[in-house]
Amino acid sequence: MRSPLPFLAPALELIGKNATVLPSSGGAFEDMARPDIEEADDRFFGSASDAKQGFKDFAETPTPNWRELYRPTPAIFRTDKHVFRYFCDGSIKTYFLGTIIEGDRSYPLELTQIGAAIVHRKDDGRLEVARFERRILLLVPFTGGSGISESLLNELRKHQRPDFRVIDVAMPDPLSERRQDPRDKAGAKARYEMHMLEQQLIEEFAPSRGADEWTIIDGGIRKGEFIELPRTVGVAKSFDRTPTFTLRKGNRGTMRKDISGVLMGLKYAHRTAAFFAHGGRVAFWYVRLRAQGEVDYPLMGVVKVEIPTPETGEPIQADLADHLSSALVGERNVTPHGLDKRWHAHLYPIFQAERVIKTNFFSESVLLASIRWPKPDAGI
Amino acid sequence: MTDSTKHEESLTIGKTSATERDANSSDKFNFWLAPDQIVNPFDIVEVEHLGEARDSEGKPTGKPSRSYGLVTTIEHKTDSPNHLANFVSSNFGDVTETNINTPRVGTNVAKVNILSNNGEIYMPVQNDRPVLFASPDGIAEALGIDTMAEKDRIPAGLIKMSNGASTVAYLDQEFMLGPEGAHINISGISGLATKTSFAMFMLQSVLQKAEKTTGEDGSPLSDKIAIIVLNVKQGDLLQIDQPGDPPNVDQMEMWEAMGMEPRPFKNVRYLLPRSNSPGLPNSFLEPLSGYQMYAYALSDAADKLDFLLSDISDQSGAMDALVGDIMQGILNREASFKNCSSWENLLNGEPLVKNGKTEKWGDHYASTIGKFRRHLRRIVKTRTTGLFTNSRARNELNLADQIREIEGGHVYAIDIARLNDEEQKLVFGDVLRTVYELKAEDPENRVSKKPVPEKVIFFVDELNKYAPAGVRGSPILEQVLDIAERGRSLGVILFSAQQFMSAVHSRVTGNCATKILGRTGASEIGSPDYRFLDDDLKMNLTRLGKGELIATHAVYRQPVKIVFPRPAYKQRQPGT
Repeated sequence: MRSPLPFLAPALELIGKNATVLPSSGGAFEDMARPDIEEADDRFFGSASDAKQGFKDFAETPTPNWRELYRPTPAIFRTDKHVFRYFCDGSIKTYFLGTIIEGDRSYPLELTQIGAAIVHRKDDGRLEVARFERRILLLVPFTGGSGISESLLNELRKHQRPDFRVIDVAMPDPLSERRQDPRDKAGAKARYEMHMLEQQLIEEFAPSRGADEWTIIDGGIRKGEFIELPRTVGVAKSFDRTPTFTLRKGNRGTMRKDISGVLMGLKYAHRTAAFFAHGGRVAFWYVRLRAQGEVDYPLMGVVKVEIPTPETGEPIQADLADHLSSALVGERNVTPHGLDKRWHAHLYPIFQAERVIKTNFFSESVLLASIRWPKPDAGI
Repeated sequence: MTDSTKHEESLTIGKTSATERDANSSDKFNFWLAPDQIVNPFDIVEVEHLGEARDSEGKPTGKPSRSYGLVTTIEHKTDSPNHLANFVSSNFGDVTETNINTPRVGTNVAKVNILSNNGEIYMPVQNDRPVLFASPDGIAEALGIDTMAEKDRIPAGLIKMSNGASTVAYLDQEFMLGPEGAHINISGISGLATKTSFAMFMLQSVLQKAEKTTGEDGSPLSDKIAIIVLNVKQGDLLQIDQPGDPPNVDQMEMWEAMGMEPRPFKNVRYLLPRSNSPGLPNSFLEPLSGYQMYAYALSDAADKLDFLLSDISDQSGAMDALVGDIMQGILNREASFKNCSSWENLLNGEPLVKNGKTEKWGDHYASTIGKFRRHLRRIVKTRTTGLFTNSRARNELNLADQIREIEGGHVYAIDIARLNDEEQKLVFGDVLRTVYELKAEDPENRVSKKPVPEKVIFFVDELNKYAPAGVRGSPILEQVLDIAERGRSLGVILFSAQQFMSAVHSRVTGNCATKILGRTGASEIGSPDYRFLDDDLKMNLTRLGKGELIATHAVYRQPVKIVFPRPAYKQRQPGT
């Protein structure tokens, strides 16, 4: 059987012949993402001023009272009202292939599989794949001059095809620009590319949705750019645990709460008030899907919901936030308990979208078999 | 897309699945089922495979080969790693929680045993191949029925698939009536297993097929087949020449599908045992078409005393030696037995008794002779049902003489239902030995000028009585083993039945080229006698319904589930 990655061998041969390669042991090994990577992404996608000053403006109307931060959102199930029809997720698998030495520069070479999928939930609750895309990325630093040479990069790019691209890790983006370690940076760049793929898929797919069909995208509403599509919400199971909230107490000044303080008071099947983020472009709130007694830790079982505001600074209707939150509480069953440690906040269709992607990734065996560096005597 | 591809897609019920942990092999494969698709164990499926199909002459056909398989079990798999995850997914064990927005992802996975490949390719079935229910032709090919000559195909029922399709399950005559193989053994619990009904259906099937087939002399083969059935229960087999209730539409369709007519047996002779009431048979009912009675005087049973006393404990062999000498003495008309012409004489006269006392005779101790007398008296006098008589009346026949005159095209129904165990064994052994001698030796005592039937088919229920497991050296067992092991070359065929196969001697069941299994208890199928069945299939035996049977046959590569029509002869008892 021929390799399903026919583009890889010529690209690696090109690198091997034009640079010195210090291959990783075993040909490649998976670069494991840090467990809190989604939290970090949420933080890095967030605006610096929000992080510094805290969230203070309510993003819903009518405006909530500071004493009543929480609203009940009893479950609405699919059989009552089928709100969420589409679920989008992205996934990533990154491998460190080795260190490349060109002249007096050395840089890591990483290979990434990224994928995005949208699953559709039918009237009877069963899922089907609506869209799926997979790409292989070769990650090398270029911009700034401390990585790959321009000529080698240009030669490599001649091997690009729709499902294989060569990516400049040093090109700034919100996720990777604040990272320092080259491999850390490459990982963040890969995730950024994955989010871009998600965004592309969602935007391409959105017009084919029905009039009252909502889409959930995994994580925040900001991917590469803001996704400002109607009937689309971002639901994050892992989110930044550092923000604070400044609440105006009528004429009696303000009160500051951190996120733990806010979420501790959040009961099962309730939501918090919505706040503005990203300079008023996004409204977000938290919903508790599981009672605190059912999980190990009070902050478990909570998701963060993001929705683009109608106009910058214009609040959303509280009834809409209630409705969406109730529909989210209805998504509590079934769970990927035992399969994913984030089961308490995971939405099962999102978990399945992730599974669609992962099961369509090339296996490590296939990948390793496709990585063939030229023999040293032939290449150096 | 070609029309055939479209057609195949429309019939696809799932796709083959090979995984790291559960690989496909040369013997087995798995396939997942489309949602809502129903298959059941024993369904036969087909899947396109590597290489080229070959025709019956082994020439390539230019079409892809197809592998056929038998569904053994179906599992439902979900992504739940454990039961706790399901508990949690029901809102932590809330049994009232019925609203599930997204049902857990799951699929039904069928496990399949490979039956055959029409290109003789036994590479593992590849992943992701469309799976279809096998067509009727495919089933024939899968089981090897297509390799049977048309004249050798004997219908044994219908194979019904979950998609509603059905096809005839043929048994190969060469493996049922010899010479390649022979005998049918039927097991299953009473009442539901329909053992007798199936045996009688098979006899009818053999006869109807033989009627349509002519031998080299131009006469139908049915004229060369004789059947002996032993009636062991009520009057079940004492009306087999009388038409029963007309079959209903479903039953009629089954008969027609197999190319058979629902009809009773023809040319039936009933042989009923004598009773203690003069002139009356000892039977549950008297056949409407007439009958004859049989009885045993001493001279009729002298050469079968070993059968009569086969159950007597005899660890030293003293009894066996005594019985042998007595049999020889009577048969050879030795001087000491010159006055011994009746059971009464044997029990109370010389040479065993002198002056009213049991005496030592030859090398035989008085105690052994006393034991012999006590048991024989019990059997032929005090506990007899009337089978034994000191002298037969004119209307009481010698059974062996009747069997010796056996004719092709006839059915002999011998009633033993009301006889006690010893008497039943005597009759069974007598008939078996007579038939065996008739076929194996020169039939010098036969009066009839008609040829001895080429095939004599013998049906007996409760075979475990005559050939029990774990017994050695019983005269009846030896006789049954002779038939089981050499009958196929002689043309003596045994159709036998019992509740538990494990209770029958393994050399008997092992020599049956066809085994039929009805509903069977879970403890029974755990015995080693059922190891020829795949573990996944065994539990299906406990769920079989009335009229459903599992058939294993020498030609079949795997067991199949069959259904068959109810017998067309009268089955109800008078007054019931």
